[in-house]
Amino acid sequence: MHIGIIIGLGGGVGFLSGLFGVGGGFLMTPLLIFFGVPPVVAVATEANQIVASSVSGVLAHMRRSNVDFKMGTILLIGGVIGSTLGVFLFALLRELGQIDLVIKLSYVVLLGIVGSLMLAESVRAILRTRQPGAARGKLHQHNWLHGLPFKMRFRRSKLYISALLPLGIGAFVGVLAAIMGVGGGFIMVPAMIYILGMPTAVVVGTSLFQIIFVTANVTILQSVQTQTVDFVLAGLLLFGAVIGAQFGTRAGAKLRGEQLRGLLALMVIAVCVKLGFDLALHPASLYSVELLK
Amino acid sequence: MIRHSHHNHSASIRMTFILWLLTFVSISFGAHEVSARDAQLVADLSENSVSIESDFHGTELLLFGAIDGMQGDDIIIVVRGPDVKIAQRRKSKVAGIWINVETNIWTKTPSFYQILATRDLAKIADEDTLQTLGVGAHNLALQIAPEKDPIETGLPMPTVNGMVGELTANMSKIGLWGAKVDTITLKEGALFRSVIDLPSNVLSGLYDVRIIHMRDGMVLSEDNASITINKGGLSATIYNMAHQYSFFYGLFAVIFAIAAGWLAAALFRKK
Repeated sequence: MHIGIIIGLGGGVGFLSGLFGVGGGFLMTPLLIFFGVPPVVAVATEANQIVASSVSGVLAHMRRSNVDFKMGTILLIGGVIGSTLGVFLFALLRELGQIDLVIKLSYVVLLGIVGSLMLAESVRAILRTRQPGAARGKLHQHNWLHGLPFKMRFRRSKLYISALLPLGIGAFVGVLAAIMGVGGGFIMVPAMIYILGMPTAVVVGTSLFQIIFVTANVTILQSVQTQTVDFVLAGLLLFGAVIGAQFGTRAGAKLRGEQLRGLLALMVIAVCVKLGFDLALHPASLYSVELLK
Repeated sequence: MIRHSHHNHSASIRMTFILWLLTFVSISFGAHEVSARDAQLVADLSENSVSIESDFHGTELLLFGAIDGMQGDDIIIVVRGPDVKIAQRRKSKVAGIWINVETNIWTKTPSFYQILATRDLAKIADEDTLQTLGVGAHNLALQIAPEKDPIETGLPMPTVNGMVGELTANMSKIGLWGAKVDTITLKEGALFRSVIDLPSNVLSGLYDVRIIHMRDGMVLSEDNASITINKGGLSATIYNMAHQYSFFYGLFAVIFAIAAGWLAAALFRKK
């Protein structure tokens, strides 16, 4: 793969992440696959790159003290457990010759869900701006989840909830980080708002704090288990992404939100359809080979 | 012995010219009646080690040689790289998508196998001769590892019929196996030259080169040579680090990412 394409890819996805305030892992991994990077390498390398982008993101949020470290610690304990299990599952699936399929299928499902939810949300937002006075729903409601044991007080988030909730969310996102090479912010952020009921201001910073440790854990475990981390590729992608994100942030400040989000949703759905289509397409050869040592 | 070295930076292709030590046995003495018995092929490599650098996009090895032959003779060159295990997977359509449903593990299979010849192998010799010579992937007696121990279960070894063809197709697609005819030029039945393509995905190790001199479907002489391929340079060093010190490699990758992330934040901090 040409060095210019890698930096360009990093720049393009970086621009989008700056524009929309998303991590970009869920777009970068499938794009790397489209460009012929083996899915296993794309996933493990993306985890490595996300460590870097989360560090620079969390520093900005720490300055504004928008990180709930206690909540972040519980989330990351769950995340480390989940991602450790995820890497072992990854290695097992690789041995069985099914890892590429599982990576692609996970992306089809996840991008399909995220893309349609985002599209529905932005359509609703566009309609709302045209129909002023539409009522907003309640932020969160009390349900059975709030009756779980091991209650803990999270001062920064002004919450008194069971530690099992952030632990579970962290673990689920950790498995995704290991198998899909994503930070999982796009799942964790809504989960923190709607399930935990955290204030929106601390959500992004806290999730980035957790993502650093989970993706660092994935990077080290993938290096040991599967040797699929390519830190040169990660570094080049990062170089492009850092620059792209600066332009993205500036562009985002000038452009309208709802239409842009709708556009991102369509892109996510397009990537999902392409991945799904490739899985259904008759392969050029029914046989494939892998050199083992 | 003469050695030429030519570096083409723009194309990033390093041409390594290997000159064979030419041993003319009887050409200059006018051997008009060469019998099969005294026909000879003597060759030696002037360079038996190839170092491949990090900007490696593939290398071509130029082979020169001499035979004591005549017009119409044939030469077959077989280059065989280090043996590896190869996992070969078969896809089948399950619930609308293509899924790997079967895995064959080929044991002790060459990672690199290139055949070069003056013309089509079938015209050079019949199948029995090629089989005796062990030339051609289907004549290598390759084996698929049985899923269960055949001694314990009494089951026969898995059959490889037909599967070798699929393996050859797969390995040819990634440039590691192949048979290229009309790739050896033989002048006056004495001097020959050919080019071996080494793609970027070749493994480091000892490569065995067989040169076979044929006439009328019979072997006249054979010689062997070997090349050691070392992948050096930055990317090979990183690759070795990742495999030999994988924990420290991972740790380094994380530290590198944290430093890069911190640097990016410091550079673009809003004033």
